[in-house]
Amino acid sequence: MSMHYRFGEPGFSDDRLAVGDARVLDFLSRFARKLLAPAVARRHPELGSLGYFLRPAELKRTADRMRRDDNTYVFPRGNVFHVPPANVDTIFVYSWALSALAGNHNVVRISTRSAGAADTVLETLNATLPDADPVIARTQKMITYGRDDKLTAEYSAWCDLRVIWGGDSAVEAIRRHPLRPSARDLTFPDRTSWAALSVPGWRAADASSRRNAVAGFSNDAYWFDQAACSSPRTVFLVGGESAQATAVQEEFLTLLAEVVAQRGWVVDAAMAVEKRVNAYGLAAAGAVSAVAFPDNSITSLALSGPGEAPRRWIGAGAFPFAHVGSLTELVPAMNRQDQTFSHFGFAPADLRAFAEALGGRGVDRIVPFGSALTFSAIWDGYDLPHEFTRLTTLET
Amino acid sequence: MSVFTLSQPEREALLHKELSELTQHHRANSPEYDRILAASGFTSAATVAELPWLPVRLFKNLQLKSIPDDEVFKVLTSSGTTGEVSRIYLDKAAAAAQTRQLGATLQQVLGPRRLPMILVDSKGLLKDRRSFSARGAGVLGMATFGRDHAWALDPDGKPDLDALRSFLDKHGSEPFLIFGFTFLVWLHLYEVAREHGLDLSNGILIHSGGWKKLVDQSVSPEEFRRRFREHTGLTHMHNYYGMVEQIGTVFLEGPSGGSLYCPDFADVIIRNPRTWQEQPVGEPGLIEVVSTLPTSYPGHVLLTEDLGVLDGIDDGDWPGKRFSVLGRLPRAEARGCSDTYREAA
Repeated sequence: MSMHYRFGEPGFSDDRLAVGDARVLDFLSRFARKLLAPAVARRHPELGSLGYFLRPAELKRTADRMRRDDNTYVFPRGNVFHVPPANVDTIFVYSWALSALAGNHNVVRISTRSAGAADTVLETLNATLPDADPVIARTQKMITYGRDDKLTAEYSAWCDLRVIWGGDSAVEAIRRHPLRPSARDLTFPDRTSWAALSVPGWRAADASSRRNAVAGFSNDAYWFDQAACSSPRTVFLVGGESAQATAVQEEFLTLLAEVVAQRGWVVDAAMAVEKRVNAYGLAAAGAVSAVAFPDNSITSLALSGPGEAPRRWIGAGAFPFAHVGSLTELVPAMNRQDQTFSHFGFAPADLRAFAEALGGRGVDRIVPFGSALTFSAIWDGYDLPHEFTRLTTLET
Repeated sequence: MSVFTLSQPEREALLHKELSELTQHHRANSPEYDRILAASGFTSAATVAELPWLPVRLFKNLQLKSIPDDEVFKVLTSSGTTGEVSRIYLDKAAAAAQTRQLGATLQQVLGPRRLPMILVDSKGLLKDRRSFSARGAGVLGMATFGRDHAWALDPDGKPDLDALRSFLDKHGSEPFLIFGFTFLVWLHLYEVAREHGLDLSNGILIHSGGWKKLVDQSVSPEEFRRRFREHTGLTHMHNYYGMVEQIGTVFLEGPSGGSLYCPDFADVIIRNPRTWQEQPVGEPGLIEVVSTLPTSYPGHVLLTEDLGVLDGIDDGDWPGKRFSVLGRLPRAEARGCSDTYREAA
């Protein structure tokens, strides 16, 4: 299959952009405004979040944070080649936008299977182009091509930084193509994310806080079929008596079912079967001691212990539960694969103690319920604006 | 003796008892199966429909058997479209029972004597180790129900007109058996027979393999039968539905065509894909197959990923439920971060 341009002009240009370039800022602000239009945000709520991330004040703040005043000059890294995942429709925009804001020339490989929100993003980008400085189309490209090692090799040899999303196998496959000696990879391998619910915290919360927590959690879990790197899977019930934890779990699941029904989210039969296959597989292996399928949209599993929490995807709306005495008890179960840890009902001091106890053994983000999917400039343990720039120091 | 004799109430009573016993038997002999049922909270079933079903794909992910390793007599495999393979473990008794019951089922339409047989496939198929497990095993298994075999396709997979002609010259005036996969039968036997005026009027066609490829070519099951009847004289045609995970159990199309029927030792339940309750006649759903044959592995109650519909109960050619297969449930596809590779590279 041949390559085609979904955004930007063919060929490489020798234009130079600055870190926080006004022309890029202007373009991204216009783009964000279009994404925040009610019609777009209604159709694809995740684009509303993207528009919010790209709002002018936020862009300026991010650009300001890139600059330094200690006789150290911050410059764009140069050429950046992005290989985003096919099915998380919007993540490529975040990584591209930050890189563009850093003043890089970017080539983003858009999947041939992209659809839905990704198509809307591309339409919106192109609709923003007529009002933008022509340098944007010359330096920022989004391309689609099928299996073509030659093109991947070509862009790999061109770039100063290669950004590989899409998990372990994608990283391994793309890494077969050599980079220039000075270039390097920024990789986003397979990740697992968790949720933790404080049993005493839940019991102390009033009805509306509980409902809000569940609403936030349901967005985190269902937006990307629970398959995004940051989607919470296992829910750890922390603290309290065992009977209390059971009661909290039941109320949580009841509220979750209500929210899911209200939103009109349905899980189809194929996915329901997939979840049974995985749930029974875990049961057969002894990793779970109870499984329940109250509805296609929700599968709940009782883990035999916190160490049994599965790290692979087991389906959309599948929630293993485990009860532990405290957050610190979870520390030994965490490892480098673990990314987002979303929480409800904990005292800030408990979360700080947990973060410190982790000591870097795993977990990159500790965020409240409802924020698991909220992209941030610090992602997977990387400070992205820092990654997208290079430094020149001056001593006089 | 026919295995199409039991009315639905009689069948339910018999199957409820035997399948409940089998459930206990498998629990006692397969720790994995016992853990699944324990985790599901299963104790007992008041009806066949209440028996705990396993998704058929589980046999691709897990090794499930109720016999010790040293009693494994045969391991059957099926290749799935995604490259995963089901593994079905048979001991001597289960292997013998499946052959015997398949024979008894087919006798219903073939009669007691072995008939001369056309295999609508290529002998070369048996040499190709990769395709052997699925298609080859099916053909070989069926070949034992006939004699004086002729292969309708040459080693290159092209129709072998000479072989067909010489078979028909010799056996065409008495009943003979034709076996093949539906699509191959249509593509390589129907076309050739029509074109060259072959007389198949004494033939009994047994075929399986789904209608999807034919429906894609706008050939419905009715059209299939009509065209064979009009252009080749063939009137005895029986589609069947079965799977390696319930080897030996086939659901056979009745003489009037259309519906599939259950042998006395098996049944189907059509399940609503949302509530998982039993669907009434006429309402499509997922097909659950139950059979008393799987004694060496817990495959006696299986939820398939095929869609089907009940056409009637105790109102057709043979007693019991009659049903049609409508197609396959599409495989669930995950969205997610870890998916670039499938086309990246």
